[in-house]
Amino acid sequence: MENIQMLLKQGAVGRPCAPIVKVGDKVERGQLIATPTGLGAPVHSSVSGVVEYITEDRIVIKPDENQSKDYVKVEGADNLELITNAGIVGQGGAGFPTAIKIKANLDHGYILVNASECEPGLAHNIQQIDEDPETLIRGIKYVAEIAGADKGIIAIKKKHKAVIEKLDALLANEPMIERHLLPDIYPMGEERAVVRECLGIELEPTQLPSAANAVVINSETVYSCAKAIEDKKPLIDKNITVRGKIVGGSDAHVFMDVPVGTSVATLIEMAGGIDGDFGEIIMGGAFTGSATTMSAPITKATGAILVTAPFQNLEAKKLGILVCACGGNLNRMMDLAAKYNGEVTHICYCKQAQLQKNGSRKCERPGNCPGQVKNNLDFKKAGCEYIIIGNCSDCSNTVMASAPQMGLQVLHQTDHAMEAVGHDKYRQLTVSKSVDQDLNVVDNVEVE
Amino acid sequence: MSITAETAKQHANDPAVLCCRAEAGTELAPANFEDPAIFPDLVDSGLLNLEGALLLGQVLNGTKLTKTVDSLTPITADIVDKFDEIGGEEAAEEAAEEAAAPVAAAPVAGGVINLHIGEGKNIDIQIPTGVGAGAAVAGAPVAAEAAAVATVGEEKVVRELTRKHFKIEEVKRGPETKFEGTTLYIREGIEAEAVASEDLVLDLKIEVITPDKYHTYSETVMDVQPIACKSTEDDLGYGVTKVLDGVVTVVTGTTEEGVQIGEFGSSEGYLDENMMWGRPGAVDKGETMIKYQVTIKNGKNMERPGPMAAHRCVDFVTAEIRKAMKKQLDDEKADDTEVLKQVRRPGKKKIVIVKEIMGQGAMHDNYLFPMEPVGTLGARPNVDLGNVPVAASPLEVLDGCIHALTCIGPASKEMSRHYWREPLVYAALHDEEVDLCGVIFVGSPQANTEKFYVSRRVGQMVEMLDVDGAFVTTEGFGNNHVDFVTHIENIGKRGIPVVGFSFCAVQGALVVGNKYCDAMIDMNKSMSGIENEVLECNCLCPEDAIRGLAMLKAKMAGESVKAAERKYNVNVKNNNLELIEKATGVAVERVGNEQDLPMSEKRKAKYD
Repeated sequence: MENIQMLLKQGAVGRPCAPIVKVGDKVERGQLIATPTGLGAPVHSSVSGVVEYITEDRIVIKPDENQSKDYVKVEGADNLELITNAGIVGQGGAGFPTAIKIKANLDHGYILVNASECEPGLAHNIQQIDEDPETLIRGIKYVAEIAGADKGIIAIKKKHKAVIEKLDALLANEPMIERHLLPDIYPMGEERAVVRECLGIELEPTQLPSAANAVVINSETVYSCAKAIEDKKPLIDKNITVRGKIVGGSDAHVFMDVPVGTSVATLIEMAGGIDGDFGEIIMGGAFTGSATTMSAPITKATGAILVTAPFQNLEAKKLGILVCACGGNLNRMMDLAAKYNGEVTHICYCKQAQLQKNGSRKCERPGNCPGQVKNNLDFKKAGCEYIIIGNCSDCSNTVMASAPQMGLQVLHQTDHAMEAVGHDKYRQLTVSKSVDQDLNVVDNVEVE
Repeated sequence: MSITAETAKQHANDPAVLCCRAEAGTELAPANFEDPAIFPDLVDSGLLNLEGALLLGQVLNGTKLTKTVDSLTPITADIVDKFDEIGGEEAAEEAAEEAAAPVAAAPVAGGVINLHIGEGKNIDIQIPTGVGAGAAVAGAPVAAEAAAVATVGEEKVVRELTRKHFKIEEVKRGPETKFEGTTLYIREGIEAEAVASEDLVLDLKIEVITPDKYHTYSETVMDVQPIACKSTEDDLGYGVTKVLDGVVTVVTGTTEEGVQIGEFGSSEGYLDENMMWGRPGAVDKGETMIKYQVTIKNGKNMERPGPMAAHRCVDFVTAEIRKAMKKQLDDEKADDTEVLKQVRRPGKKKIVIVKEIMGQGAMHDNYLFPMEPVGTLGARPNVDLGNVPVAASPLEVLDGCIHALTCIGPASKEMSRHYWREPLVYAALHDEEVDLCGVIFVGSPQANTEKFYVSRRVGQMVEMLDVDGAFVTTEGFGNNHVDFVTHIENIGKRGIPVVGFSFCAVQGALVVGNKYCDAMIDMNKSMSGIENEVLECNCLCPEDAIRGLAMLKAKMAGESVKAAERKYNVNVKNNNLELIEKATGVAVERVGNEQDLPMSEKRKAKYD
């Protein structure tokens, strides 16, 4: 078994933790090995073994030959302390410490469970709910109690009909929890989009869901909370979707309870191995993830490994980049431009991609386009032949309403991943942005 | 891009076009609509057909879509449940007019703004305004506040400048420089001394061009200057100035190998075919020219010392004429006396004129504040002053405080004589509704960093003046437009209404801009909207000053400004002038253009 690499920073936010073990130490699965030095959550070993070496950013553990599913149980005086000590972070991507998020002191507020599994091609969230909806419901109750909420809403895409029927059966006896159906477009899982869809409140990019008397929490994170409380389990295992150019086809390979720190290579191997030529390997979703390497380890916040189709060679033709807040940032787009072999001639930002204090961008109205033709005119003026965009479903649709007529060839940031997972490329939008909450009403508004 | 409620209101009379896909049942809101500002580009590129489109003002009152439609779809009657009739709003405006105070009505499509000035007379004015492509245009005014602030202070005369005019009917050469009756004699052989005074000058020819000899070939005209001197020991702008009538100095020049001293065009050719007679900066028909043809060393035409030497060499001769004027011309016996008054009007809208003059170095510079009108002695080049803004009184301007060395396009360069007869300064001084506090000259440096540097100083200076409005004028086009619009920005962002003056039209369209450039006077007169190399053709004329004042008064009264047409359209200017005439009852004299001149070979070949 390969070495396990426990990164000291397990998500996009917070500060790295400090190791509390030394090289040569024997560690048990579930044993605390690093503690926060600022905003962060404690890190536990996902395997039993020996600390082989420690670098600036990780603790590398050589696992014992025989691994057990058992683990060292966390301790805590109450549920919140258990969640804190279990090192639970948000598993939707950013990895924000969950205990801090849910200590929200809401006033008869809402727990909005993000079960949208918004990134195209991912399947582990919905599979988890399908396999065990009961734990989700118990988890919501635990979280609600801590957060001061008296209502829970599960936000899930309407397309998962069978799973929703299972949930509905259980929710019939749960007066405090309901579900809200989402359309199958990107980005329904953006935090403020979930608030808007469930509660009808449009938050400013600088506002947190607490401004709408709500906490938004990813469904997998709710399970982790339930496990921390009921089973005293630290966050050491992660559910992962592996998909793309994998031997055997483009269907999703879902692996439940993969030890955190497992390498990308191991996961791809578990799925069947890479099938022929490929473009790049993405850690995370096609929109918000970024390129990774075979040796990189997964973290508590990793959801997917995608092996993409090869890149088209633009032969150094002039390429414009449209940066928005829903897809890759400028660095990611530049990375892709280089991989496409385009000469970046012009960069535009979506009007709604509001620059935040920390340098990131947030969309002012996620999923609702502000118009893109002005950018296209600018790309055209700059002499671009191609543009690469990272926009949401609605904005991509708008780009397509004028770019081809202007002679601009459109590439989407996710194209090579969508090709590999067998998903339609993001271009024209043909479905409605709203769905009827009655599961039996078929809604599909085609644009004429 | 989607628009705000405010923008939607401004564009109430523009077509409503969806910026993005919108589904059936959507109640239309400003965020659903594309900004009408970019429609012309979209129509041009075939992306948009506005036929049958409803207006924004018709569909923002609870209108819902009955069909799901895509981005860039114009809203038409067949895809909405209801829409307002055009004119609903106007009815409301009509009612508002009942109020005692004058009230501005809403902008109306078609390039004009309707406004009503009450004051018992009920005059209807429509003032649109023109601008070069890219810039925006100004709208019209209401004197509401001006009327209300009727604490009409006494008109205060700050100082007077007296011009003593002496008629000259003949210019001859003779043994000494002197006056005999109405004849001016210029000393024979003075050329050699003048040439000897300047290292870079190789030759000087003096030619007297009387009206019968206007069809004479001339090298490019570098400057036209009044011949004037201070009568007393007073500084420029004060006391008494003597000036010769009927004769002007014309500076022309080339290098030894015949390269014209000029950049971006030159006006060499037959004088009668290349001069817009009667322009403030040009020769008037009937005047005699003392034409100097200076030859400077090769290669010196494109750097400051060359043109400067040429100007100083000519001024060597003019200085001798001034000396004779001082000695021989008795103010008591002047043919005419003109008193220029610098007046202040406390309580009226206080305004300042910022004049951008060229200061890029190379051949572009100006001598500021010489001791004698349009002299060289005692003057400082604005390039050496760092092009920073410098304050001048209106009388200093009219007394020749600028000796224009600039060598930009002949059609837009402000000659020295232009400042002597500066129409905007005259118009503002005489306009009883405004209080002109002074003139600021600012050089246009070469480097952008320096442009922004001087612009910031302009903004601060104008802020400290506590003015209600400002003009920014420029000469030339292109490079200087960078600081021109930055001056406007630095003044505009302080909440001060600004009106800009520039030649833009077709060739000089603004290449830069900002949101404060919404009120512009395009000084183009040429038929094709170009720098046609005809001397002074596109310079600031009285008709431009009238338009500018009407526009600034409108802006100061809080009127919004109708956006510019995309392409230069001379009718915008013509309509404005007609509307101003209608409103004021005073005819505005239109100036001609190159079409009034005999056709030159150059023009035939290059332009018309």
